[in-house]
Amino acid sequence: MRNLVRVMLVGGAIALAAVQARAVPPAYELAVDGLACPFCAYGIEKKLMSIAGVAALKVDIAKGIVRVTMKDGATLGEAAARKAVEAAGFTLRRFGRVETE
Amino acid sequence: MRGAGVRGAGIRGAALAAILCAALGAPAGAAPISTNTALPVGEGEFIFRELFAVGRAARDPSGLDRDLLAWSSTSVLGYGVRGDLALFGVVPYVNRRLRVNTPGGRATRRADGLGDIRLFGRYTLYKLDRPGRTLRIAPFAGLEFPTGASRRRDALGLLPAGLQPGSGSWDPFVGAIATYQTLDFQVDGQLGYTLNTRGDRFEFGDVLRFDASLQYRLWPRRLSGGTPGFLYGVLEANLIHQGRNRAGGVGDPNSGGTRLFVVPGLQYVTRRWIVEAAVQLPVYQDLNGTALKSSYTVLVGFRVNF
Repeated sequence: MRNLVRVMLVGGAIALAAVQARAVPPAYELAVDGLACPFCAYGIEKKLMSIAGVAALKVDIAKGIVRVTMKDGATLGEAAARKAVEAAGFTLRRFGRVETE
Repeated sequence: MRGAGVRGAGIRGAALAAILCAALGAPAGAAPISTNTALPVGEGEFIFRELFAVGRAARDPSGLDRDLLAWSSTSVLGYGVRGDLALFGVVPYVNRRLRVNTPGGRATRRADGLGDIRLFGRYTLYKLDRPGRTLRIAPFAGLEFPTGASRRRDALGLLPAGLQPGSGSWDPFVGAIATYQTLDFQVDGQLGYTLNTRGDRFEFGDVLRFDASLQYRLWPRRLSGGTPGFLYGVLEANLIHQGRNRAGGVGDPNSGGTRLFVVPGLQYVTRRWIVEAAVQLPVYQDLNGTALKSSYTVLVGFRVNF
């Protein structure tokens, strides 16, 4: 009986951890060249937000980094990100997924 | 810059200087106040700008004690067709008042209304992007339409061509802009030429101009994440040469010449809007004959993107 309870508790903990892991939406970090003033940032934001699955953006203008947070289950492809950044008039230098714990 | 007297069009150049500056100013980024920039308008993005200008020209060598006060409110809408191509429409509303001595005493002549609308395109020919900086070169070309009235009259008869809201002529213009921007400052240089064609009775002299702008970030002094608003100190220069006007095919000896203005100002830039103010001051005016000289022009405006 005790072993059964232990197994159930461990299994529940594993399941809970899995659920929590799935609940963290994927995020990507884009290094954008040519971005040097706040007013210009909006053009990038507008194009990236128009991509399906994008939930939120945060621009760090000093570092030239755009952090893109996706909706649950959505992913962002590098080609789509590059196209959006170029359509805004800038250059995508680096694209990467942010590892989440 | 234009002819003397009630009939002369020398008054037009003084007021036109500020309006031309406003009309050619196309918004994007921490763009200059009195001239254009090569920074992009993103695909599908709109930028709207409203620029208010009040200019006075009262330095009159003709002896007629001419005093010109010109107001303008210029609306500019920019649209990004692609990341390297933007279109702009410029719609000015002008109000001009001239006081002048006449044989019948001191007279006031005035006109107001829609001015000549400008449409132009700007293409990014060269782009070099690096982290936190960019270098761009963008030619532009467009056309000024004779949408403003050019045959207004008052009790003294037909108003001088320089007082009319519009030129009455179709005037193409071309130019090129170079922009270098970093997180700390921005430098813009623009060369432009306007071919003023003949209207129904008058032809203004062609305009060749060179503009330069320096914008320096005053605040925040250090960037520490996010996208804060930037406060820029701005210093610009406008070098404008205009040819002589022609009326009935005859050149006006009291028109045309060269002016140099300096334009100090301030500009606050956020992600979604910009507010700005500057004053345009003449530092050199070599005008033909008794053309009326500029005194000052105050520029105040805002921009929004959407």
